[in-house]
Amino acid sequence: MECVVQGIIETQHVEALEILLQGLCGVRRERLRVHEICLKSGPNLGVVASEVRLICNLEQTEPTWTVRHIGGAMRGAGAEQISVLVRTMVESKASKNVLRLFYALGYKLDHELLRVGFAFHFQRGTQITVTVSSVNKMLQLHATDEAVPVTPGIQLVEVTAPATSENYTEVVAAVSSFCEYLAPLLHLSKPGISTGVVPTAAAAAASLMSDGGGEELSS
Amino acid sequence: MPLKWVLHWQPNAGTTVNSQIINEVTQCVESINGVKEGRWKATITFYKPMIRAEQALAGDFPRDFLGIALPEQPNKYYLIIRLQRIVLEADSSIQMIMEKLQSYKSRVSLNFEGFQYQLGDFQLRVGKVLPTHSENLRGIVMEVEYLPISSMEKARQVMEDFMDIWQQALSKRSLPGHFMHMEPNFAEYGLADQYTSQHTAVQYATVMAQLIATVQAVQARN
Repeated sequence: MECVVQGIIETQHVEALEILLQGLCGVRRERLRVHEICLKSGPNLGVVASEVRLICNLEQTEPTWTVRHIGGAMRGAGAEQISVLVRTMVESKASKNVLRLFYALGYKLDHELLRVGFAFHFQRGTQITVTVSSVNKMLQLHATDEAVPVTPGIQLVEVTAPATSENYTEVVAAVSSFCEYLAPLLHLSKPGISTGVVPTAAAAAASLMSDGGGEELSS
Repeated sequence: MPLKWVLHWQPNAGTTVNSQIINEVTQCVESINGVKEGRWKATITFYKPMIRAEQALAGDFPRDFLGIALPEQPNKYYLIIRLQRIVLEADSSIQMIMEKLQSYKSRVSLNFEGFQYQLGDFQLRVGKVLPTHSENLRGIVMEVEYLPISSMEKARQVMEDFMDIWQQALSKRSLPGHFMHMEPNFAEYGLADQYTSQHTAVQYATVMAQLIATVQAVQARN
């Protein structure tokens, strides 16, 4: 399982967000460049239609592949009330022929994306990952070198944390409280519920840039 | 990693495997000073497609693929589509992903299990092939691992020499069959001369195909 929230930010404020995150997390950012291939089952395959994502990390000298399956979101009154999406997610690293294998199994390419940006991995009540990336589409099949932004001038921010059915309430609390620190710059919500850019972003960004760094928080 | 050969017991025409053969083989390993070390177990699972419409075209997807768990890589899992010569190495969690996708279902699983022996620079593993939850012996396998070398080609001579000694020792027992080494064409699977666990997985898939062929031959005769 994982807990996840998303938001968007204008590219002009990304530098300020990075300064804030650097201050909050106390770790160095990592560069992010991933090629994400979304596959769907062929028309007659499977009890129900299924979807699987193959993620190729292009930051490594030798690209590494991961298979990711995102399952249904947690439902019910309790899930409605929390501001974080809790969903099943299973990942497995795989050898580089994984795309060929899934094609052979009868899966078809649905779409592919290139995410370029940076990520912070840190411990704050729980293991949290924040990624800030521009989402790009490929004009030609797998042509990651010629990718163009899907939404120019806007970047996607995603906060995720691994969870289990035993500890997800604590993880949700940790993610929610972390998100509050980012509130002046962006609003984070469940994926699919877009809340747009935050009106205070420009002022908050200006203030962060003049401070020259985020505040160090004691937790 | 050290290379190995995976061999299977080929019964003589008209005979089948039985547990007496495995006892004799085990005694033979001990008679050439093999030191018993512990148990080992590998598992092969057959996955079959779950098809929504009856008119689904044959050829749209494979009739089956194999999932293999090997004791040498307890956190990994191997998927093999033999017809297309694909071997994939993944984390064990890939099994959970396949389950969630509900596009292929695991049907039959076979365990390969037995004892491991140390013999100088060689490690031998003799194992029964049993369907899970059953004691119905389906075959016998043997792994011969040569610890100092990881190049398949460089080790070929020493492996062949060892097999000569082994077959000689075993022949004294006049068993109704022999161990066979069918070397797969690793290059077809994109595997090089340096031995990896993917080589082991491919060898198990080959052994599996041989075991099925043997069973089918027996059924055809009856």
